[in-house]
Order: sequence, then structure tokens, then C-alpha cells
Amino acid sequence: MKTAWNVIRGAALAVVVLVASSGAALAQEFEKIENIPKQDIPAGRFVGIAYGIIWLAVLTYVLFVAGGLKRVNQEIADLKRRLGSRG
Amino acid sequence: MRSLGTGFWIALALAAAGFLIVPTMILNAPIEPVMGFVQKIFYFHVPCAIMLFLSTFVCAGGSIAFLFKGSERGDRLAHAAGELGVLFGICVLTSGPLWGRKAWGVWWQWDARLTTSFLLFLMLIAYLVARRYGGPAGRKLAAALGLFAAINVPLVYKSVDIWRTVHPQTTVVPKLDPRMRPAFWSAFLLITLVWALLLTIRVRLERARAELATLRLDAEELEEVRAS
Repeated sequence: MKTAWNVIRGAALAVVVLVASSGAALAQEFEKIENIPKQDIPAGRFVGIAYGIIWLAVLTYVLFVAGGLKRVNQEIADLKRRLGSRG
Repeated sequence: MRSLGTGFWIALALAAAGFLIVPTMILNAPIEPVMGFVQKIFYFHVPCAIMLFLSTFVCAGGSIAFLFKGSERGDRLAHAAGELGVLFGICVLTSGPLWGRKAWGVWWQWDARLTTSFLLFLMLIAYLVARRYGGPAGRKLAAALGLFAAINVPLVYKSVDIWRTVHPQTTVVPKLDPRMRPAFWSAFLLITLVWALLLTIRVRLERARAELATLRLDAEELEEVRAS
């Protein structure tokens, strides 16, 4: 019983190795394909998007900081006025 | 904003002029024969990467001053530079894949330069997260993270020379076509100017927040005195 089981296991292992090696051999072969449509990526659009993202990020950051600065300065002015009025 | 000083306004005027001149110089620079028009991303991608490195170094410098001397000024500078590092990191990590998609055919490759750059970006995000959510020890924890991020910068820079990568090597700028140099260096100057202006207003915001915190404490003390 044990020997039969070993034979089955050995056979299964041999099948796996055989399939894997043939798959690996196929993966090593390259075949030239003719007449496929050429992928055309518009460079101008890519350059435009890249610059757009950079300047949009900078502008958003400027607005974020300027807004924060305005808010904090306003609070400082309010607090100074309150502290001044209370002596 | 009025008390930002004459230097700030001169730099702002120069940056505004640069926004008109530099794109024209880039468009007039010769087209690179291998990659074609998409190579023009290079003129802003590389200066943004240099600003990412510079921000990380300034963040580390400020963090050292805060950790070892308790300098609040250093901490404010480090915070501002850390944020700018994330901002320029976004610029680099979005312009790069757009260039790569056209030049290499893929948006992203887990090669040494791209991976180390991404790690640097994550470290700077971790720096900001630790500051915001790290509790009482958050600022010190963040300062330590800022130092580690700076240690990563030379690795990011030299990664293309140490490992085989798809990314161009560090020799690209020194060996740049002389006809492309004016456009590159003017874009570099413009981005550096923008970086310096952003750092100035960001540090100013931190200073104003510190002043506001002091005033709030004064107001609370006054309230307590009045109540007693």
C-alpha cells in the first residue's frame, strides 16, 4: 500500500516537473508578431498633464498657506484687541 | 503679508517673470532624438527632485537643532521643509510616471531609484503624521524621522549608479546637450525661487501660530486672575 502511494506521488511529481519545464521553455521563446497596431501615446498631452499637476499642486499649497496665515493673523488681531480692552 | 520684506516681493516678481520666460525656453530647446517631445518633462522633473532632497536636508537640519538644542525656530523650519518635501515629492512621483509611461511603456517599475524615492516620500509623510498625531512626544519622534529621511537621500541619489535600473543615471545633467542647458538651469532657478518663497511663507505661518498660542495662554491667565 505504502509502495503504491509512493509510486503515485512520484508520478505526480514527474508530471508537475514536465509541465513546468515545458512552460519555462515556451516562455524563453520569442516570436515576432507582424502587423499589430502601433500604440501611439500623445507626448504633448503627457507633458501638459505633468506641468499642470506640478503647478496645480504648488498653487493649491500657496492658497492653503495663505488662507491659514490670514485666519491666524485675524485671530491674533482679535485676541490682542480683547486683551488690550481688558487692560 | 505686508511685513514679508522687500526681498520676498522681489523674488515673487522674479518668479512671475520666470513663469512667462521658462516655458518658452523649454519649448525652444531642441527635442531629444530618442525620447522625443516627452523628454521636456525632464526640465521640471529634475529640479523638483532636487527640491525634494533640499527640503529633506533642511527638515533634518531643523530637526537636529530642535532635538539637541531645543530650538523652536529649528522645529518650525523643519515642519515647513517637511511639508515642502511632501509637496515636491508629489510633483516628482506624478511627473516621473507620466514620462516613464511614454519612454519605458510602463507607469511604474519597482527599481532602485523609484522605490527609494517612494520610500523617501513615505518617510516625509510619516514625519508630518507623527507631528500631528504623535501626542506630546510627537515632535521629537517626527524630528528623528526627519533625520532618517535625510540619511535616505544619498541612497536615492546614488541608487542609479549602484544598481541596474531603468532610470537614467546621475550623469544626465553633467552630460546634457549644451543647447538644452539654458532651459534646464532657468527652470531650476525658477523652481528654487518658488521653493524659497513657499518656505518663507510657511515658516511665517508657523511663527504666527506660535504667537497665537502664546496670546491664548495670556488670555487664559488674565481670565483666571479676573475670576479669582
